[in-house]
Amino acid sequence: MRRERRELLLRVIDLCESVRRNELDPFEVRVGEFLQRLRELLPKLRDLQDLYLDLQALVGLTEVILRQGEWIRHRSSLLYLDPLLISLKVQVMSPRELAEILVEAWHPTVELEALTLPALSEAKEYWTNLPPLEERRRELGEGGGGGGELPLEELQRMGILRREEFERLLTELWEELKRSAGEKGISYWRFISAPTFEETVRRAWLVSFLVSYGYAGMELKPLEDDLLLFPYSSPQRREESMSVPVSLSEEKWREKRGRGRRG
Amino acid sequence: MEEGGEAELREKLARAAQLLFFKHHAQPGARGWELKRALGRDYEKILQVLEEEVNKLGLTIRRVSEGEPENDRYFLTLKGHPTLTEARTFGWRIDDLAMLTVALAHLLAKGGKAPFKEVEGILEEKFPKFRVEPTLERFIRMGYLSEDEQGILYVGWRTRAEVDQRALLTLLLGREVRGEASQEEPSRSGGPSQSSPPPS
Repeated sequence: MRRERRELLLRVIDLCESVRRNELDPFEVRVGEFLQRLRELLPKLRDLQDLYLDLQALVGLTEVILRQGEWIRHRSSLLYLDPLLISLKVQVMSPRELAEILVEAWHPTVELEALTLPALSEAKEYWTNLPPLEERRRELGEGGGGGGELPLEELQRMGILRREEFERLLTELWEELKRSAGEKGISYWRFISAPTFEETVRRAWLVSFLVSYGYAGMELKPLEDDLLLFPYSSPQRREESMSVPVSLSEEKWREKRGRGRRG
Repeated sequence: MEEGGEAELREKLARAAQLLFFKHHAQPGARGWELKRALGRDYEKILQVLEEEVNKLGLTIRRVSEGEPENDRYFLTLKGHPTLTEARTFGWRIDDLAMLTVALAHLLAKGGKAPFKEVEGILEEKFPKFRVEPTLERFIRMGYLSEDEQGILYVGWRTRAEVDQRALLTLLLGREVRGEASQEEPSRSGGPSQSSPPPS
């Protein structure tokens, strides 16, 4: 009997938790019936843990009622629209039509940026403390002249690479991969290999985005020390993915380039 | 004495305009308590006078409630809306505007919040996958959307300041689908200083 009581309490708590995690419609919970059962149960509870569970169940049911209230308020407000209706409408509209809708309901904020005295003084201090270029070059050492690693966002911020440009590069490479790989795929090294090391690095960098975004797939060929690269006709959504680290040095490029030319 | 009062009012108006126009830290506008500290207890009256002044320039003062009145944020926004061509000169791509429309419409239809993954999935049905996540992240950084630690997306402070949410949904449902062909630039409405848009 006691076990049944505890099971009931745990079931109520579990249901309320599901509502809290948005896994269950709050109206699926028969709040009135559960409250009645809890009322009947309370005088029979002796154990402290059962009483604690009873309290937890009651708090959970109040939260369910709160969710039901929110739902009714939202549905009765002028802002309520069926998500399905919205989704159908969005599907048939072109991006331009959707953009026009936002623009017509949009009143952009007017904001100005200004130099302030503290900002100017901070800039002056920075400039005064900045070592000369010669000195900074020496600190960087021999490797200073070489290419570091800059993320896409940073390149965009610096105005070196625009988002549109990046997308164009990606689309061009995807088309090239589709043309050169066919159905069987192509060796990763053969595909990225270019006359210069810099161009090879650039192609490898872009290929990593093609693979990450599901425009191409990769297959490991450990015996041949290679990777097979194959394009998808449309972007694939993958539930599970794994990272494949690919090390690319100038020596490796020379080696692969030589082998590629021979092959 | 009257002259002194007028001079004081002019000074306070100028101070209020500076506070609302210039960006402080990362966000535009000013909070109620900042305005109160700079303009005095009657700051709302000063804002009413300023509203009349900025109206002449096609601007308006928007107030976004954040609980206590002194925490409310005040912004200067366009009274009317820009044209699509103008929006593009502000640095917006058509795809970005369209994505924001879809994301906001979905959030509003779901009561103001939805999981990030769900919104991402909806956008990926219509836009290139590799653009969706970075664009959503950018909307979060700009304040059009916000995200909590559980990965739930909400309508952000900038949307509440800049977007007429009811108009957005009404326009979305009321708009007849024109298709890709015959798409002309719609004319804008609103502020007194606005003129007809240039041909697209």
